[in-house]
Amino acid sequence: MVQLASGTSVSGKLQQPTNSVLPWVATAARLVLAGFLAVAGALKIGTPAISVQAVRAYQLLPDSLAQAFGYGLPVLEIILGVLLVIGLLTRPVAVISGLLMIAFMIGIGSAWARGLRIDCGCFGGGGQLAAGQEPTYFWELLRDVGLLACAAWIAIRPPGRLAMDSALGLTGSAGDEEAEPVDEPRSDHT
Amino acid sequence: MSKRTSEAARARIAAQREALRKQERRKRITMIVTVVVIGIVAVAAGWWSVAQGTAEKVTGNLAPVTLESDGTVVMARPGVTAPVLDVYEDYQCPACKQMEETSGSTIKNLAAEGKAKVVYHVITIFQQEPTRSNSLRAANAARCVTDGSEYMKFHDLLYSRQPSETQTGFSVDDLLKWGKEAGVTSSGFESCVRGQSKVAAQEQFTSKIMATGKITGTPTVMLDGKPLDTSVVFVPSDLRDAVIKAGK
Repeated sequence: MVQLASGTSVSGKLQQPTNSVLPWVATAARLVLAGFLAVAGALKIGTPAISVQAVRAYQLLPDSLAQAFGYGLPVLEIILGVLLVIGLLTRPVAVISGLLMIAFMIGIGSAWARGLRIDCGCFGGGGQLAAGQEPTYFWELLRDVGLLACAAWIAIRPPGRLAMDSALGLTGSAGDEEAEPVDEPRSDHT
Repeated sequence: MSKRTSEAARARIAAQREALRKQERRKRITMIVTVVVIGIVAVAAGWWSVAQGTAEKVTGNLAPVTLESDGTVVMARPGVTAPVLDVYEDYQCPACKQMEETSGSTIKNLAAEGKAKVVYHVITIFQQEPTRSNSLRAANAARCVTDGSEYMKFHDLLYSRQPSETQTGFSVDDLLKWGKEAGVTSSGFESCVRGQSKVAAQEQFTSKIMATGKITGTPTVMLDGKPLDTSVVFVPSDLRDAVIKAGK
């Protein structure tokens, strides 16, 4: 714990001017992204057959893959959401979330381009729209762009305040911590 | 002096290196434990999710299927009149196909076990082409079947071979071929399918149901007249529980 404390103080000194606000931005981004992911996953996980149907409606994946995606996606979304809230493995989780958002945008964009009339199925339901309903692809895409921005911010400046990563000492690259002792023997020799 | 200092410094460096090594090891272990725990949670959640969506197997013979003159199809053991499970579906609707794949076997089993009287209402929900014509051709062909057990086989074949919503499908030739596969032998079947003789009846049947305002989309499954939530309909074990509870 002593080493951890000294490690944080060093990085703290380096980031002094921006230290107070920026980490909270990452925390906020984590909570926003986590909220969407966890809710989307929770609404779908109980009825995986509908989730599979929503994936099939995009007509992008072969059936076995659509099945796997339909079952796996809600589980993945919930796990990513929980990890983002507690700030555990923040950077890899942010990267995976960002890639997921890109995949969603490709799916929605291609459904739009092909003129399919479907619900994105993001929060349960999904599939063909009834006669009176119009697709809302633009807003779905805009939302995903926003969430992608959150993911990118978190990936660039992880983990933010209130993160398990900091508590467990999983933050900071090994290079930062090695810099300290490597410098010292050199100064001794001179 | 300088020797001692450098020795002390060396010792200090060694101690620091050791501490760093320990820290790195602890970090690695924490990382591994974290990833393993996440993996276990993911597998458990995935397993539960798959269980939620796993279809039952159809066990034994189906309950007798009766083709009613009003266009509905009743599947029930003799004397079973309640609870009533009404299934509103469209042969062209992908969600109906999904429902049949997921819960169709549960519905058949419940009827076979005498736990419910199942009533199928096949409607044509689509207003646009090519889905509307696809749906009408398929429903017409099903109405041309005159035997109950042949009907259910044909019904299941239609779902398993449902065309995409973006292309013309359920062609007359395919429907005739699949009818043969389902064991349809009646002499009038071919002319009935080719002549689309039951299309008007199908359209009337649909508008009568839509006029009641009880159905907003397909599939709709009603238990004793009340629509069941999709979160029940698409989870076979929950559907079974709901029907059993209604029968008590």
